[in-house]
Amino acid sequence: MHMADALMAPAVAGGMYVCTGAAMCYSMKKVRALEQPEKIPVMGVMGAFTFAAQMVNFTIPGTGSSGHLCGGVLLSAVLGPEAGFLTMMGVLLIQCLLFADGGLLALGANIWNMAFYGCFIGGMVIWNRTMKNGMSRKKICAASIAGCMLSLQMGAFSVVLETLASGITKLPFSLFLTAMQPIHLAIGLVEGLITAAVLVFLYETRPSLLWGYSEAGDKQGRLSLQQTLGVLAAAFIAIGGLFSLAASAHPDGLEWSVERTAGSGELTAVGTAYEVASDIQDVTAILPDYGFRENESAVGTSLSGVLGGMAVIALCVGGCYGLRLFRRKSR
Amino acid sequence: MEEIRAEHLCFSYDGVRDVLRDLNFCIGQEEAVGLIGANGAGKSTLLKILVGLVSGYRGRVEVGGLHVEKKHLQQIRRQTGYVFQDSESQLFLSTVYEDVAFGPRNYGYDETEVDRLVMEALRQVHMEDMKDRQIYRMSGGQKKLAAIATVLSMEPRMILLDEPSGGLDPRNRRNLIQVIRTMRGARIVASHDLDLILDTCRRTILIGEGRIVKDGPTEEILTDEKLLWEHGLELPLSLLGRQ
Amino acid sequence: MARLQSAIAALHEVDMGRGGERNGSSIHPLARFVVCLGYLVTVVSFEPYDLWGLMGMSLYLIITGIWEDISIGKGLCGLRYALFAVCFLGLVNLFYDRSVIYKLAGISVTGGMLSFATLFFKSIFTVSAMYCLLRLIGMNGLCRALRRLGIPGGAVTVLLLTWRYLIVFLKEIDRMGQAYMLRAPGQKGIHIRAWGPFVGLLLLRSMDRAETVYQSMLLRGYDGGFRQAGMEKGERTGISILYAVSWIGIFGLLRIFPVFVLAGRLLTGMG
Repeated sequence: MHMADALMAPAVAGGMYVCTGAAMCYSMKKVRALEQPEKIPVMGVMGAFTFAAQMVNFTIPGTGSSGHLCGGVLLSAVLGPEAGFLTMMGVLLIQCLLFADGGLLALGANIWNMAFYGCFIGGMVIWNRTMKNGMSRKKICAASIAGCMLSLQMGAFSVVLETLASGITKLPFSLFLTAMQPIHLAIGLVEGLITAAVLVFLYETRPSLLWGYSEAGDKQGRLSLQQTLGVLAAAFIAIGGLFSLAASAHPDGLEWSVERTAGSGELTAVGTAYEVASDIQDVTAILPDYGFRENESAVGTSLSGVLGGMAVIALCVGGCYGLRLFRRKSR
Repeated sequence: MEEIRAEHLCFSYDGVRDVLRDLNFCIGQEEAVGLIGANGAGKSTLLKILVGLVSGYRGRVEVGGLHVEKKHLQQIRRQTGYVFQDSESQLFLSTVYEDVAFGPRNYGYDETEVDRLVMEALRQVHMEDMKDRQIYRMSGGQKKLAAIATVLSMEPRMILLDEPSGGLDPRNRRNLIQVIRTMRGARIVASHDLDLILDTCRRTILIGEGRIVKDGPTEEILTDEKLLWEHGLELPLSLLGRQ
Repeated sequence: MARLQSAIAALHEVDMGRGGERNGSSIHPLARFVVCLGYLVTVVSFEPYDLWGLMGMSLYLIITGIWEDISIGKGLCGLRYALFAVCFLGLVNLFYDRSVIYKLAGISVTGGMLSFATLFFKSIFTVSAMYCLLRLIGMNGLCRALRRLGIPGGAVTVLLLTWRYLIVFLKEIDRMGQAYMLRAPGQKGIHIRAWGPFVGLLLLRSMDRAETVYQSMLLRGYDGGFRQAGMEKGERTGISILYAVSWIGIFGLLRIFPVFVLAGRLLTGMG
């Protein structure tokens, strides 16, 4: 889900930086207001923990594949949403620099898509609401799964919006969306299960670590099956709502996009099998099947570009090595 | 004048079982004291009480003439160095220099003074040439010495060392003993490495089940085989031959 | 867990490089950071069809790579998976944008091809620029730059601590993984029954470590703020500003004038 710099327009990247910056300022203020200086080292160490935990392969039973942890919901369930958000920011920054997982310009967007939804939607809204009247295993499971799934859906939706707003890829909106959302539904479910397993373990070994835990509240922290189902249902309705909203914006999916790119709606022409075949080819072929005028000036530009590029690069490389030699001698 | 004084010191973590029971002792300036006892005897807890990391004790504890309570903690910590058992956690910055400079910078020294303090501390542990080393790339012995340097750079009046020789090979251990011997100020070395205590401290306090079992010259306590055995300890190897 | 090994290797590489230690450079990390950001913005702002203009931006990487002794090729090799992901989205353009821009030696060049090539080089350039930045200034330098930019001390401290303990935890996870695999041969990952304890135990240990870290900070006068040297030995404000301003200026020129094309015209006399 990491977005790269090359896929972002500067304006979109800047806009997302502003959003993320606002969330950061809010979180800093909240964390400072807690007046818990011990929180800072805990956040730092937990950041390193999250980074490392993301590297673990979790076998998904019944399939050959494995799932991973992203950590937003887990962090906010332990540190609280604001501190969790700041920690995730650090994790994402290091990931971006070390692995080029997402770019530095796109970092604002990436923090928003992964940390903001995970910590504030998954953590602040879902976790906090669910745990309001005490904790229980069932509640932890429900909140983790609902939180992870919902935040990943929202994140995936934002990725689609940001990519399209940047206008770098020509991929149609609805196609992109139908590819992204279901995949992230599955990813969200797996992440939710892992998060639930870890949080339940914590609840059983050292519950005081969990955000919002209190011994008094724990006594009444019984969640009936109905309530559990209720939380999950609410999450699914929210996800479904997002989905249908997006889908209904462009109900005709692929056709709409082809019409837009091919211009005159060739596909709608009623014709023979040959025509249909050629239309299909039209959609799939990389090279166009219709002729085009030879463009003199463009050819010239390319030629000059190649030649000039080689010359300038040679000059640059030569100059640098020459200067380096000079620098070494002068030492 | 005493640097550290404890009177009727009692402490309990859970309010039920006392970890420390009625401790009374004084430690003078420039005195090196070994604190020995079995695992869980309360050595670390005692050291942590002295710098206020563990609060809620009963009795009276004075460090550097100041009663250990919240309003004096900053002053007490300013003049007391504490070397943790786990150097990996004590060294939380990436390079040796940055980490050793952390304390002096927090106390508001300017950069030239910070540089002088850091280099002086590193000289004392013979690590001047390692100042730009990444901490995670260092061996256990080097980390321990770096952790001691982080404390020395604040020019403390007294130094508390919690299990300093754990996990060190013989050469690093010898190095460590040299460093502890050349330190100035009052020192408390908590350890069950009795050879280390024998080499670094004149006086020893033996703690057992939260009480001071014996307080006296190191040679005397460490040669008392029966006493040591009763408290889960054994004669130092270097003394075995003398018996 | 191959990713784990590559992460450990990458961390070693960064810390072994000049960024990991005090490098005696006369340029403040903030200047390098600003230049890198300027470079990224300029690269990204090129139009999808302006391939030749974009190519001129390679000069920064070539000069930095040679001058600072950074092997960008090696870096790109290590980061190839990140590049694949970007290129996948670019491939789509080949199918959806088939308006012919020009013909070259009988081959029609479509808008999709051009925009794909542009996207490809944009991602190579941006990834390389970030690679250079981290090798040049390291995490300590980056934190000093962020501090100068006005990012609150608390957030920077979190970043520094995360970086410091990253390698410790990666190695710990590696050891735990090995211990697990030795007792569970043939499994590709962690079995569902062990999901909770495997990560949970590490989390508990991290919390304990965080407590010791905090105590150690407290005993050395930590009061919530974080102090780092503003300027290090050898860093010069004048040179840093000059460095930043001149590079940004060059980026501006490269953005406006397609240097490669102009040079080619000059050479071939095509005017």
